[in-house]
Amino acid sequence: MLFPTIDFGLFFAFSLALVWSLNSHNTLKKVVLLALSLAFYASWNWRFLLLLLASGAISYFVGLYVDGKARRPFRRLALGLGVALDLGILAYFKYLDFFIAQFLTLAHALGLNPPIDFVNVTLPVAISFLTFHAISYIVDVYRGRLAASRSPLDIVLYISFFPHLVAGPIVRAHEFLPQLDSPRRAGDFSFGENMLLILGGLFKKMVIANYLAVRFVDPVFTDPTQFSRFDLIVAVYAYAIQIYADFSAYTDIAIGVAALLGYRFPQNFNQPYRALGIGDFWRRWHMTLSRWLRDYLYIPLGGNRHGALATARNLMLTMLLGGLWHGANWTFLIWGAMHGVALVLDHAWRRSAAFARFGSGPIARVVDWALTFHFVCFAWLFFRSPSLDAATQFIAGVWTDNGAPSTMPMIVLPLIACGAVTQIVPPQTRVAIGAVLDNRGPAVQVAFGFALLYFIVVMAPSASAPFIYFQF
Amino acid sequence: MTALPQRPASSTSPWSWARVVYAVFALTVFCFPGGLVDWLDERNVSGWLAAPLAIARGVDAASTALGVKAVGQGLRKWFAQAVGDADT
Repeated sequence: MLFPTIDFGLFFAFSLALVWSLNSHNTLKKVVLLALSLAFYASWNWRFLLLLLASGAISYFVGLYVDGKARRPFRRLALGLGVALDLGILAYFKYLDFFIAQFLTLAHALGLNPPIDFVNVTLPVAISFLTFHAISYIVDVYRGRLAASRSPLDIVLYISFFPHLVAGPIVRAHEFLPQLDSPRRAGDFSFGENMLLILGGLFKKMVIANYLAVRFVDPVFTDPTQFSRFDLIVAVYAYAIQIYADFSAYTDIAIGVAALLGYRFPQNFNQPYRALGIGDFWRRWHMTLSRWLRDYLYIPLGGNRHGALATARNLMLTMLLGGLWHGANWTFLIWGAMHGVALVLDHAWRRSAAFARFGSGPIARVVDWALTFHFVCFAWLFFRSPSLDAATQFIAGVWTDNGAPSTMPMIVLPLIACGAVTQIVPPQTRVAIGAVLDNRGPAVQVAFGFALLYFIVVMAPSASAPFIYFQF
Repeated sequence: MTALPQRPASSTSPWSWARVVYAVFALTVFCFPGGLVDWLDERNVSGWLAAPLAIARGVDAASTALGVKAVGQGLRKWFAQAVGDADT
């Protein structure tokens, strides 16, 4: 049940009235929200409901223990066990076959033939995001950032709440659990702003991302040897816009849907292609993942507290694991390594005397932006390529031109321009228009929402591509 | 002293939100009824969706009679041709 589908439209319409009608019966409302979330998850594969409930049970019991009166070494051991269980489930489903393949390649190179088979398990939907939420909860309880919840209902609902379940944003336990304590107040949310967020997300996904994917990016990356140098270069930039439009659309819709149900989610994107430096890019792109990696990986590794060399090592490890999180493929590892190296250099540059002297001028800022943007786009090439061979074929095609004529559809450049506009429009615009809508009557709100949705449906292509982050 | 602007009650009531959302959905279905009819038809294997399917077909017929469906289809076709999307 993906967001821009009739299935989800009906599901949301049903949920909206049901959830608010139970607002004064908070426990019953949470039970209904959990049932809705489980139904949402079961729409992909009901068998994996057990996995979701198991993850909730691990978090609940480990949370209670690490918040209890046991001595610190025991609590630490319980935390380690809980994290290992969460990561173990993730590793089994997502990485086991990848590691078996690497092991077999190495063994065959050494002339060995170990009797090991691939496990070939189906990757459960949302397993990565589920793991992030589960680890966030038990670590925050251990660190004393929040008290362990005595309600297993709250914990399972936190992990499985359907707007963030499949592709985030990653909502931290201390941000979400207090919202479950009392009935929600509609007055805390702007209806106009959240309606715009949802409709803007639908436009980004159904029009920009789908057209770019179906008409140009997917064919080019499937067989780059058939395309000209110009097409290949444009495809890299088109993919940069596609992945932004696709992923930010999902989280915009998630944030808007959660808000209309009365729950606040954190922001996940802040015009990332305006970034001045790679560090700045990661403060703007998938912000909730960046915060998660910083708080649960980079800082526990030592962060920047033990000198330049250790900081560089920690940045590299964090980005390598961040890359591997996206999938069990060398292309993701290379993408992570590229960002790790860039972050190390960015870190060193911003602490140098040269940066203090030249780094803040207008020319330096333009150079900073251009280097960051083109580096990010180049790194997307590895992220998007299905294999290392495909990535090298792609780069070779840019070098040799493949002798092919350009076949880029004319819609691509306007769509890239449209994507660029999303990076320029001040974020306050949506808040301002939302406030205007809030101050108008329902007739204006209906007319405005309908007009936007009408044009989205008119413009949407007949074919659509799945959400990119759905697979992670 | 100027009082802070207050949002009207209609903007802070979830029931008003729901009415707006349902109205937007209903108008969109009326303008593009084919999607919902196909969706219900695909899922109506044992006839359990016969009633909503009949309603959706009624909406489809009304939309066709008023020419609203044709406008939506025409605009989609025009846009698809304009951007060279032959499949639409």
